[in-house]
This record gives sequence, C-alpha cells and structure tokens, in this order.
Amino acid sequence: MANKRKLKAATAVNEMKGFDIQAFLAAIVESTDDAIYGKTLEGNILSWNHGAERTYGYSAAEMVGRPVSVLVPPTIIDEVPQILERLKRGERVDHFETLRVKKNGEVIDVSLNVSPVRDASGKIIGASTIARDITEQKKLREALTQRAKDILDISTPVLQVWEGVVVAPFIGTLDTQRAQQFMERLLDRIVETNSSVALLDVTGVPAVDTRTAQHLIETITSVRLLGAQAVLTGVRPAIAQTLAHLGINLADVVTRSSLAAGLRVALDVLHLKISSQDGEA
Amino acid sequence: MTNQNISLVKVRDTVLVTMPADPDDVTVTTFQEDVLGAMEKYRPKGLVLDISGVETFDSFFARTITETSRMVAMMGGQTVITGMHPSVAITATQLGLTLGGILTALTVDRALDLLAHPHPRRRLR
Repeated sequence: MANKRKLKAATAVNEMKGFDIQAFLAAIVESTDDAIYGKTLEGNILSWNHGAERTYGYSAAEMVGRPVSVLVPPTIIDEVPQILERLKRGERVDHFETLRVKKNGEVIDVSLNVSPVRDASGKIIGASTIARDITEQKKLREALTQRAKDILDISTPVLQVWEGVVVAPFIGTLDTQRAQQFMERLLDRIVETNSSVALLDVTGVPAVDTRTAQHLIETITSVRLLGAQAVLTGVRPAIAQTLAHLGINLADVVTRSSLAAGLRVALDVLHLKISSQDGEA
Repeated sequence: MTNQNISLVKVRDTVLVTMPADPDDVTVTTFQEDVLGAMEKYRPKGLVLDISGVETFDSFFARTITETSRMVAMMGGQTVITGMHPSVAITATQLGLTLGGILTALTVDRALDLLAHPHPRRRLR
C-alpha cells in the first residue's frame, strides 16, 4: 500500500518536474552519512552506499556479493541468521543496538534498522539495512550515566565527626531516588559507627518543597526507629519560612539554625562538654 | 519452619526480650503475654525489646509493640526498643509504623544506659 502511495507521488513529481525520480532517490541514499545497504534473504550484499563505505571502511566493490556476516564479530555471529529469519517472516528490526567490525578490525557500536524489501507482487525478495555508527553516542551516554551516579555518590556523604556523631550534609534538591539512597546510607553509617546522634545539615539545599520536607521527615523518623537522634541543622530563614508556609510540622524534630549549634546539641546528648584549656567553658 | 522462640531474660531490674527473625501473629501475641507475665513476676523498671534479628515488621507487630509498651508503662516499666535494622526502619517509616512515643536505642548497652538515666532526649528542644 505504501509502495503504491509512493509510486503515485513519484509519478506526480515526474509529471510536474519531468526528472528521473529513481536517480533522485539513489542520490539521497548516496549522500547520507548512514550506512545503507541491500542484501538478499541469504544475507549477501547487493548494494553498498557511500555511508557504508565511510562507516565500515570497505568499498562497494569489496562488499557487493559478499555475505553480511563479514561485518559481524565472531562472538555474536548467531545474530545474522536470527535477523534473516525475522525478515523472511516480513518483520522489521528497529533500532537494534549491536556491534559490528570495520575493515581495519575496529569494533563499533551500531544502531540497525532492517526491513524486508518486496517486489511488485508483494513477495519478500531481500532486505535493506540502515546502520548508524553510535560508538561516540554510546560512550557519551555511558559517561553521562556514570557522571550522574558519581554526583549521586558524592553529593550524599555521611561523615563521622565525633565518636557517636555523624553529619550528613545535604546538597542540592532531593528527589525520591536520592532521598532513598541518602536514607539507606545514613542509617547504615549510624549502625556502623554506633552513633547516637545524626546531624542532617540542609545548608546546601537551595529550596525545600513539600516532597523534600517529606523525605527529611521520613529520614528523621527512620533514624529514631534505629535508636539514634536526628537533629536538623542549617535551617536558614528562607527554609524556615517555606517549611512554616507549607504547614509542615517539625514539632517532634530538634532543629537548629547552624551545624555548630547542632553539634552542641549532639555533645549534650552524649553528655560531653567542650571547655577551653584554661578551664573556662 | 523458622525458629519462633522469644527469649526473655531478667537482668537486674530490667527484662530483656529478643524477638525471632520473622515473628508471626501467634509469636507476637505470645510476646505480649510473656512480657506482661514477666512484668508481674519480676516488677522490673525497664523492658528492653531487642529486634536486631527481626527482618519482617508488619502493622500487627508495630501495634502490639505500641500497645505493650503502654501496658508496661501502666505496670510501672519503661520500654526501650533496640537494634532495628536499617532496611526494616526504612520499610516501617514508609508504612507509617513509626512507634511514636516509644524510646529507641541503637544497642542493648545504650538501652540500658537510657533506662539508668531516664529521658535524656526529653531534655532537648
């Protein structure tokens, strides 16, 4: 059906402009950066565009007539018959990410779109493959994922500042995933260090919304369940205002405006006292 | 079949109760009876409930703990829960089982300290 529509459009253009539509389509294929090649249902290459030459390093003369499997790394060679089998059933393979080998032996990441090609009677006679080199893209994607993970890790440290006291400085906004990870890490550290006080410092939190506040309260509740005391520190005027406006009840939570003030609370809980060397408090 | 034994030991003026890993409803009910029995028999000042081995914490268990601690208070004792596992604490919080009003401690040692010097955290605010 689609073929028919295409033909109709092509005829119309032909009549209007009077040029060779086949040559025009061929030129599009030739000029693209993507590797586009045709193959028989047995997997032998029928056509090979410039993009394919650039992507894989083989010239058209080298590739036409050869099996497509020369492009496939030996470890995943089973892929070829599987793809051909799907094509024979008339199925397409869309955005299939896999590995291919270039002429120089370099292995690249590619995204494949393979679709069956039919003759005028609708019989499947071969397949077309559009392959795009996504090596760089994939590297970037992996780097980004790694970076996101790194940020997640470094932005939620839990530090032991005294025997029995851990400090967890919050930095940035807290989404559910970060809050969960933060909570787990904090609770584990409390048990590890046998700390009875945890100071949750929100100095580095730009703004608090209802959800962030909810996460904070959950964390504080969990800390209490473990048997430790949580103190919320670094509550700046802006944050205090928001929390009050949001109607969030922190009545059961010990809060202080600065980390130093929180540390004083912690020492108090531990029955410790800091005194200057000449004996004055 | 998991071990459902509750261990109940009297140490000086405290009763130390240890819960099994996966307490079922029968065990939880038995826990309350055992604790109240011990309260009557030993008249301790404190009850330390060690749940460091507990892996599953449900609403029935949470409610029974809260209830029991009130009963213990009526019989003149102070309850301290100790040793809750971090993952259990997170789940409990998410389920809203926050054991409000009950004292908690990281370890049995701390729980005993807490009973020896009552209400240190009440001094805060």
